[in-house]
Amino acid sequence: MKAILTDITKCIGCNQCVIACKNTYNLPSEIPRHWQTGDGLSARNWTTVIRKPDNHFIRKQCRHCQEPACATACPVAALHKTPEGPVVYDSHKCLGCRYCMMACPYGIPRYDWDQPIPYVRKCIMCYPRIKEGRQPACTEACPTQATIFGERDELVAEAKRRLKENPDKYINKIYGLHEVGGVNVLYISDIDLDCLTMGRDLQEYPLPKTTSAAMNSVPFVFVGMGAFMTGLHWIIKRRMKLQNEKENGGANNG
Amino acid sequence: MDRVRAFKTVLWSILGLAASVGITRFVFGLGAVTNLTDQTPWGLWIGFDVVSGVALAAGGFVITATVYILGKEEFRPIVKPAVLTAFLGYIAVIVGLMFDLGLPWNIWHMIVFWQHHSPLFEVGWCVMLYTTVLLLEFSPVPLEEASRYAKIRGFLMKYRLLFVILGIMLSTLHQSSLGSLFLIMPYRIHALWHTPILPILFLISAVGLGLMMVCLESLVTSFLYRRHTELQLLSKLGRAAAWALLLYFIVRIGEIVIAGDFGLIFNGQWESYLFTFEMLFAVIIPMILLFVPAVRRTLTGMWVCSIMVVLGFVINRINTSGVSMIRNAEGYFPSWMEFAVSAGVVSAAILAFMFMVEKFKVWEYKACQRDEEADPHAIAHFDRASQAWLGEPDYSGRIKYSLAFIIAAAVGFALIPGSKIYSEGKVSNPTSKARGGDTLVVDGNRDYNYVVFDHKTHEVNNGGEESCVKCHHMNRPFDRQSGCWECHSEMYIESDAFGHDWHASPNGGKLSCDECHAEGIFRSAENTKKCSECHNDLIPADAAIAIEKYNARSYVDAMHKMCIDCHEIKTVELERAGMTQCAFCHDQEYNIRDILVIDDLEERFNQNWLIVPLKK
Repeated sequence: MKAILTDITKCIGCNQCVIACKNTYNLPSEIPRHWQTGDGLSARNWTTVIRKPDNHFIRKQCRHCQEPACATACPVAALHKTPEGPVVYDSHKCLGCRYCMMACPYGIPRYDWDQPIPYVRKCIMCYPRIKEGRQPACTEACPTQATIFGERDELVAEAKRRLKENPDKYINKIYGLHEVGGVNVLYISDIDLDCLTMGRDLQEYPLPKTTSAAMNSVPFVFVGMGAFMTGLHWIIKRRMKLQNEKENGGANNG
Repeated sequence: MDRVRAFKTVLWSILGLAASVGITRFVFGLGAVTNLTDQTPWGLWIGFDVVSGVALAAGGFVITATVYILGKEEFRPIVKPAVLTAFLGYIAVIVGLMFDLGLPWNIWHMIVFWQHHSPLFEVGWCVMLYTTVLLLEFSPVPLEEASRYAKIRGFLMKYRLLFVILGIMLSTLHQSSLGSLFLIMPYRIHALWHTPILPILFLISAVGLGLMMVCLESLVTSFLYRRHTELQLLSKLGRAAAWALLLYFIVRIGEIVIAGDFGLIFNGQWESYLFTFEMLFAVIIPMILLFVPAVRRTLTGMWVCSIMVVLGFVINRINTSGVSMIRNAEGYFPSWMEFAVSAGVVSAAILAFMFMVEKFKVWEYKACQRDEEADPHAIAHFDRASQAWLGEPDYSGRIKYSLAFIIAAAVGFALIPGSKIYSEGKVSNPTSKARGGDTLVVDGNRDYNYVVFDHKTHEVNNGGEESCVKCHHMNRPFDRQSGCWECHSEMYIESDAFGHDWHASPNGGKLSCDECHAEGIFRSAENTKKCSECHNDLIPADAAIAIEKYNARSYVDAMHKMCIDCHEIKTVELERAGMTQCAFCHDQEYNIRDILVIDDLEERFNQNWLIVPLKK
């Protein structure tokens, strides 16, 4: 499983990652629009650097969850989790329901609101490059190694090593290690990273679990309801028939 | 028939308005007509057209179950209208969804690309299948008209029970699965609406709501067509609905209590009021009213209760599908255009319903049938001998309706805000005050003959925070801290601070000439619009230097004017000689390489960096 580790203490906010991303995917430049959120992500900016006080810079991008809510939500499997780690998007399948955008706990996917033929847009962790054996454009461009690419296990070990070496410098937490079932874009930081999660504390359970109980019971409800209704109909019909016979019989006797 | 005509005219007008918005939506994209954002990707069209629409059409499966499964024959007169309402309701849901989907022509992908973990996939399939089942359930009614279809009709009638049971199975699934849609977003939806038993709540409320929707539909058509109201039946439906509402109330409040969220109802936040209003309006008040026989046996009582339940649950569905997080969402509120499309879809469904009841025996008789013996000219016909219509021609209403439609569409096109379309959603970019450093090195020539500028002292001496605008008078649009050199780019001559070509270019500002240059006057820089008329936050209101036109002074002039003018005043005020002398600022005391923080000084200077912070 490939992953990205971003060390907030090392980021100098130079935006090289953003530029590299835009050059790789030929994304046009973006201007402020009324449907954007404040963080700078948009259909044309798949990663962004959020400025925080005291020269802190937080790079925001898709977290590539290990059990992605967006892929579970998508009714046509346009979004899916690849074995290498990235969650990728197939625009040929998409029908534009935007359920993925509603489902994402980080609020990452963006939409081409100004296009007559719109698609969902988000970071794909440079899946084509990973398949070629290269690293994503953003981590390659980073001049300070603030954001690095590698195997998830190795990056977690590296993050733990840094936390252990500088316990005073960092908040003792690897952001994304366990939340929503673990994600593939990890952060270590000296400031709180609330701004990455729509302001709510994320629990450890993976989001696909929330619907699986309901979805698993679908066949049983379907068959059960059919059997119940057929049975009910049969019983009621039989009762009415008996009652009719009784009434008719009584009338005959009388 | 005047009521019917007036009502239809209103519906056609709404449809016209919706058509104008609908066309705009497909030509210019969703952003041109909706207030949806990346943070609230679902809005009114999902909350009302789809999630509420499916629930409102639940009457079909509830009534068919009552008649065919429970054998309550007394409800048979309302089966056909209920099935028709459900069928048209589902068609309306699909049409409404077409407007909301970004790529509606790909909707068939659900049939091909399976993703059985998705609740939406399941809802989609159930809606497709159930709409087909409803079509099969209802088609005996129109087929009745022509005897050549008798075989097909006989076949459909024979397997009707099968369709009814299939319909109930499918309805149970997707009515509840609409609730499952929202299970996956616990962080988005408020705790008062988000519970693991949402599917069960949705199913129970769909039963209650479906019953009351059948009542409302019956009441409205009785009013329009001046026909007898089946009040006896409706009050029985009302009583059943009351039980469903009671069950809903117990389950919902019970769940909230068990989950420990009971305090949220009374914590005085916006959501708590919304919840209280929704529960009172949709559940508690109509439930109490419907349990009172004296209320549910009157027309007024049934009108009030059915409207309350229907509106209340529409609000509930919209809340659940995202509006309950309205405050997180930086205040999404649907635009009038979203309302127009939703209303248009409903209008179309009602018009289709009216067409069906007028042409076919949805009730025991056709709606437009009249007593021929008493009023032989009531039914219009074309008399060939006299070449004239006897009675009112049957197209008499159509002229009115088409006029209403066309005028409304024209009004709609006129009202759709062009700014939203042509600006492609651009917003005015706020310009913010420069951050500033304690000490700055100002080197306009980029020749290392710099001036050390003590920013902090200047700020303090000139009145603290409020002094910024004495020197910093503008930022370029879309920029957060424009350096002085960005406008005063020439050292000794005036420079162009205004990108004329960019503003005129189709890829840039896309402005036509007459938007800045008045018609009929020689076009020159002197007689154009001021920059600040469009960029209204370009210059702070209290800026000491007001820039109105395109040109910027040369760098030397600008700097010198700003510094020297002030120094001349201050030197008198403070009685501090030497403040106006060149060497007061231009001294060479420091070695610049020692004091700068930045390592790649050379490079930065080449890139036109003018101001760099100093090491303390």
